[in-house]
Amino acid sequence: MRRILTFSTYLVRNGGKSLPLIGVIVLAVLLIVGIVALMNSIPYSIRTIYKHSKNYTGLVPRSNASVDFAMRKEIRDGAPVPIEPILVIRGSQAQVKSIVGGWPFVVLAMRQDDMRRYAKRLNITKIEGRYPKVGEAEALISEPVARNLKLKIGDPLLKPDNADAYSMFPVKIVGIAQTDYWTMMMPYEYHEKYHFPPYDSALVFAKNPADQDKLDRWIHEKFRGANVRVFAYFLLEEETNGMFRILYQILNVVIFTLVAVITLMMAMLINIYQSQRIQEFGLLQALGYTRRDLIRRVLGESIAVVLVGWILGVAAAQGMLQLVKSRLMDPNAFALDVWDRSALLYTIPVPVMIFLAAVGAIWSRFRTFDPVSVVERRLA
Amino acid sequence: MIELRQASLVYKDQGKDLYACRHINLTVRPGEFLGILGPSGSGKSSLLYLMSGLKSPTSGEVLYKGQNIAGLAEPERARLRLVDFGIVFQYPYLIGYLSALENVLVGSPGVGTRERAQELLLDLGIGHKSHRLPHELSGGERQRVCVARALLGGRSVIFADEPTASLDHTNGLAVVDLLVRHRGEGALVIVTHDPSMLTQANRVIHISDGEVVNEETSPQIAPTGLHRETIGP
Ligand SMILES: Nc1ncnc2c1ncn2[C@@H]1O[C@H](COP(=O)(O)OP(=O)(O)OP(=O)(O)O)[C@@H](O)[C@H]1O
Ligand SMILES: [Mg+2]
Repeated sequence: MRRILTFSTYLVRNGGKSLPLIGVIVLAVLLIVGIVALMNSIPYSIRTIYKHSKNYTGLVPRSNASVDFAMRKEIRDGAPVPIEPILVIRGSQAQVKSIVGGWPFVVLAMRQDDMRRYAKRLNITKIEGRYPKVGEAEALISEPVARNLKLKIGDPLLKPDNADAYSMFPVKIVGIAQTDYWTMMMPYEYHEKYHFPPYDSALVFAKNPADQDKLDRWIHEKFRGANVRVFAYFLLEEETNGMFRILYQILNVVIFTLVAVITLMMAMLINIYQSQRIQEFGLLQALGYTRRDLIRRVLGESIAVVLVGWILGVAAAQGMLQLVKSRLMDPNAFALDVWDRSALLYTIPVPVMIFLAAVGAIWSRFRTFDPVSVVERRLA
Repeated sequence: MIELRQASLVYKDQGKDLYACRHINLTVRPGEFLGILGPSGSGKSSLLYLMSGLKSPTSGEVLYKGQNIAGLAEPERARLRLVDFGIVFQYPYLIGYLSALENVLVGSPGVGTRERAQELLLDLGIGHKSHRLPHELSGGERQRVCVARALLGGRSVIFADEPTASLDHTNGLAVVDLLVRHRGEGALVIVTHDPSMLTQANRVIHISDGEVVNEETSPQIAPTGLHRETIGP
């Protein structure tokens, strides 16, 4: 096969045949990446929007009025890792938007110092505007929240006529924190005066952020069955994974079907193209090329088509995701992972199955192939 | 050079044995022009496939330089056709997406050079068309490309199976003439049912029903020799 017939000779000179093959693979990869990345964006949004909960363990009372002093002392005394002073806060309901509708989000009502400690914990260094003042109907939100809800300084975050984000008076935004975290804060004293129900919750920080998960798990175990609800990032993870398990199983079936359809189609095409080349194969064998030479070349061609198709497909998918992200998702602060690894993994069966189909076609063709029947024109 | 010893090729025809070649004893000598003549279905092509290693004898032996071809592994047998033998088939098969020149080169990868291939095409009168694809050539031109393909690389035996069947008489004669003139040191074996193609042959064997029935030898290689009178048109 030296010189004249390299594995690319046929492909390059028969663009009418190799391009459609490559095109089908590109489209298949594009389709799969699109479906999977969009699907993944939902749990990814959950993880992004509630990422702030990675920084603390939240405790919300259930039947007694507050996460009381005794409970806080129990945590301080028994915590398996060093902790910061516990933040006593209140919370008020608001909402953020996702591609599948509104999701609940809590406005944290905190005292002046606590707001700053919390902000420090989230690595917030830059704020456009200022912190809310003691007892005022004012709020601080973070940049993604502002984008998501299309709010700017001076707009109300909570207001009397909003059922999903209610307050007796319009709570105006006075500051926007520059951070990736999603957060909303308001003064504790305002909440204490005008919001219901009047109960205290607590945020517990491990001194070392790396210990937070350990602390989360310990508190979760400690207060199992107690009059307090524990919020922690690992619980969010568990809940999200559980929620999406069935959806992902359905996705697997869909992708499997898609791959099967595409493979079948491609196998048919490959078979047709190969039977059109019977003459070429017969002639080459009659001229003295071995079966192995031919098989190697056809396999090389298949690998080239499948690889080029896949790589172009991945590149096209990447471009498509970038476009969707910048045009549709980012303006609303919706999360979409452009470098979604699992979406890429889902596309791997496409080139693999098509290559196997090509191998099958080649194997069945060359298994019983007599070049004499070609040069005698009994075939083709 | 090539020696057939009691070589037979048997096809199965509805369970019965059909002898395409029957116990053939034949030697192809270095440099000679051997003609094989016989009516349709007499086994000429089969004989050529035996000699060139495209088919293995059902019984008997085919030797090339003293070596039993059937005993060779497929790659070695293939190598004989790639390097030692040149074959011109009855139909001028070319690879559709290769130029005339590339089609010539494809027959002897790594051996034949581009310059030599171009030279051959020039000698065969289609040097200026070497860049064309097969579908841009006439039938006779395609057959000449096939001839060049079989000649390139200095083969020791050149086989041609009815190389003139798809051509008119004049062009057919021209192709045979080209084979004779450009084969160099190589032996030439031409299979045909048309005796007028074999006027330059050193030897002509007649076959019928898979058996050699007659052999004529001519002492001279001349278009106006004994042959013209005996087996000419
Ligand atoms: N694959 C095959 N299966 C069965 N019989 C075959 C096969 N190939 C050839 N034959 C038979 O073998 C005999 C010799 O065939 P062969 O092709 O050698 O003849 P030929 O002399 O070349 O004829 P032609 O001049 O028509 O090409 C014929 O009777 C033919 O029918
Ligand atoms: Mg024949």
